[in-house]
Amino acid sequence: MYAYDTYDHAMVNARVAEFRDQVDRRMKGELTEEEFRPLRLMNGLYLQLHAYMLRVAIPYGTLSADQMRKLAHIARKYDKGYGHFTTRQNIQYNWPKLSETPDILQELADVEMHAIQTSGNCIRNVTTDQFAGAAADEVADPRPYAELIRQWSTFHPEFSFLPRKFKIAITGAKEDRAAVKWHDIGLVLKQNDAGEVGFEVLAGGGMGRTPVIAKSMREFLPISDMLSYLEAMLRVYNEQGRRDNKYKARIKILVDAMGIDEYRRQVDAEWEKIRHVPIDVPDEEVARIKAFFAPPPLPVLADDVAEVDALADSNFIFQAWLANNTGAHKVPGHTHVTISLKPHGGIPGDATDAQMDLVADLADTFSQGEIRVSHEQNLILPHVAKKDLPTLWAKLDEAGLGTPNAGLLTDIIACPGLDYCSLANTRSIPIAQSITERFDDMKRLMDIGPLKIKISGCINSCGHHHAGHIGILGVDRRGEENYQLLLGGSGAEDASKAAILGPGFNEDGIVDAVEKVVAVYLGEREDDESFLNAYRRLGPDVFKEAVYGTD
Amino acid sequence: MVLINLTGIQPTGYTLLAGDAAPKEGENVAVAVSRLLTEDGAFFSTAGGVGAVITTGTPFAELDAIADKLTFAVIEFPAFGDGRGFSLAVRLRKDFGFKGEIRAAGPVIPDQALFLLRAGFDTVEVAEERKPAFEAALSRFPGFYQSDFGGQTSIAHARHTVARHTGEGHRKAS
Repeated sequence: MYAYDTYDHAMVNARVAEFRDQVDRRMKGELTEEEFRPLRLMNGLYLQLHAYMLRVAIPYGTLSADQMRKLAHIARKYDKGYGHFTTRQNIQYNWPKLSETPDILQELADVEMHAIQTSGNCIRNVTTDQFAGAAADEVADPRPYAELIRQWSTFHPEFSFLPRKFKIAITGAKEDRAAVKWHDIGLVLKQNDAGEVGFEVLAGGGMGRTPVIAKSMREFLPISDMLSYLEAMLRVYNEQGRRDNKYKARIKILVDAMGIDEYRRQVDAEWEKIRHVPIDVPDEEVARIKAFFAPPPLPVLADDVAEVDALADSNFIFQAWLANNTGAHKVPGHTHVTISLKPHGGIPGDATDAQMDLVADLADTFSQGEIRVSHEQNLILPHVAKKDLPTLWAKLDEAGLGTPNAGLLTDIIACPGLDYCSLANTRSIPIAQSITERFDDMKRLMDIGPLKIKISGCINSCGHHHAGHIGILGVDRRGEENYQLLLGGSGAEDASKAAILGPGFNEDGIVDAVEKVVAVYLGEREDDESFLNAYRRLGPDVFKEAVYGTD
Repeated sequence: MVLINLTGIQPTGYTLLAGDAAPKEGENVAVAVSRLLTEDGAFFSTAGGVGAVITTGTPFAELDAIADKLTFAVIEFPAFGDGRGFSLAVRLRKDFGFKGEIRAAGPVIPDQALFLLRAGFDTVEVAEERKPAFEAALSRFPGFYQSDFGGQTSIAHARHTVARHTGEGHRKAS
C-alpha cells in the first residue's frame, strides 16, 4: 500500500488546519451558511435531511487494517456506531456534529486519510477494481496510476472549479469490475503488440438523468503520457463544458454535443502543445509509487485443500460462499474474499464499528493487513490462503458478515435515498430490504445465478440503476413514491443502458414485479444462460407481458 | 476594493475605458477584448499600456491576435466557481508566453488565493474586509503536487531533487 511521506503528511495536516479555521469562522458567525457551503463542500461535508454527512475518501478503495480500525473508532466516537460504504469506494458518516468534524479529519490525517475532493466540482476519488493486485485476470495493477492521479488531481490549480464533478475509473483486468465505461474518463490498462503496457482511454460516460456510455478516445496511450493527456482532456472540458445548467454540465453532454471526433481533435491539439512540458512526473517518482504496490510475499500453496472440500461437501452455505464470495488469485493456493455487506433484510453497505474492527483483525491475520472496498458496497480481503477459508468464514458468519450472496440477486446496490438524502424523491433502502427478504433462500438465489439489482431514489442515479441488470428508479408521482422498473443494463465490459419496462409501481408492487421478471427468466433461459444474456436474446416483450399482463 | 498582491509584481494603474471612449495619449487603459479585436492598431499606438478585460466566456483563441500587444490583463469572474478564469490565465502564460500582470476581479473567495497564484495570476481585487482572510490563505500550504505558473515545482519533482542531494524528504517503500 501507498505510505505517506513528509510532503503528503504536510498536505493533509494543512488541509485540516484550514478546515478547522473555516468551521471556527462558521461557528462564530463570521461566515454565513451560504458562504460556508462551498467551503464545506470542498471537504465532503454535506447538509442532509437530518444532519451533516461527512464523506471520507478511501483512495481507489484500498485500506490498511489500521485505517479500518480508525474508521471504526470514528463511527463509535463521533457517530452512531456505524458507517456506510459507497459506490465510489468511500465511507459516509451520517451523524457527525459540525463542531467535531475538524477533529475527525485530524484523526483521519493521523492514519494517512482525508476527505479532500469527496464533493464539489472537482476530480473525485479515483475508483478501481476491488481485486487490483490480486485478480488472476489482471494485465497490470492499476493502483500506482490511481495514486498518481490522486496526487496530480489534489488541489489542482486549474481543475478545482470545473463545470461539474468529475469521476475517473481505472482498471487493469480483462473483466471490468470498475464500471469504467460509466465514468467521465475511463482508463483500461492493456498490453500492445510490442508487449508494452499502456491505457485505452475512454471519455464521456456518466449516469444521472442522461445516461451515456463512454466512447473510446485512444486505443493505446503510453503510461508516461498519462497525466499530460488527462490534463489536455480536462482543459478542453473546463473551457467548454456547459455552466448554464448543472444537469447539462458533465463531460458526457459536451462530448455528445461536439462529437467524440471533434473532442479528440481538440484534446490532441492541446496535448501536442503540453506533452513535453514537465507535467508528467519524473520516472523515479513513478518507480517510487509502484514500489508501494509490489505484490505481497505470498507463498505458492496447493490449490486443493482437503478441509475446504470436506466442509463444502457438508455445509451448503459454506459451499455457496466459496462459489460466490471467493475468486481466482494470481498466486496459487490463494483467493480474494468478498465480505458481503448485504445481509438479507439489512441496509446495503452499512457496517457497524464492531464489524469494522473485526474485518481489520481478520485482515491482519489472514490478508496481509489489506482491505478493499468495492463499488458494489462490499468489503474485500484481497490475499487469503485457501487453507484459512474455513476459519475465516466461521468468524465472518458469527459476526453477520458471512452472507454468501456476492454477485447474486440480493447483492444490491442502493443509494441512501429519502432515509438520509436531501435530493431523493423516494426511499431506496426499504426496497432493497423487501427484495432481499422476498428472496431469502440461498438455493433459489444460486439457481437464479448472477443478477445485479441497482436502486436509485432519484434521477441523479447514485444507485447506478441505469447499469443494473434490473434497475429500480424511485420517482415522485403526485406526492407518492413510485418505482420504475428497468431491465438490461450492465456496468461491465459489455456496458449497456437499462431500458424502462413500463409504468411504475408502489413499494409492494415493485417487489412483485421483480419476482415476475425473475420467473420469466427461469422459464425461458437456455442452459447456463445468465439473466442479462437471456434478456438480450428475448427482448423486453415477454417480460412486459408477465409484469403488466396482456393488453 | 483593495488589491492583494500574490507575486510581488508592481501592479499596473489604469483607467477602465467604458463604451467607445478613446484613450488619452500615453494613458494606461483597460478595455474589453471585443473592442481590442475590432479596432485597428491606432488604439495600441495611442494608449500607453493596454490591458484586456477578459470575461470567462472568452474563447482563449481570441486572445491570440492581441496577447503580444497587451501589457496587462484583467480576468473577470462572474462567480467564484467559474473555473474558466483559471484556464484563461494558464493559456495566457502557457500558449502566449504572456509576462505581464494578470489580475483577478469579481467574487473570488479567500480560499482560492493559492489556486489563483498557481494558475498564473499576480493580483486580485477584493473587498477590503476580505483582505486578512486572503492573506492568511496564501501561507496555508507548504507545497503542492503540481508544478505551476507561480514558479513552484511539484512535490513529485521536489521529492527526487531533495532525495538526490540529501537522501531525506521522502520515505522509501518498505
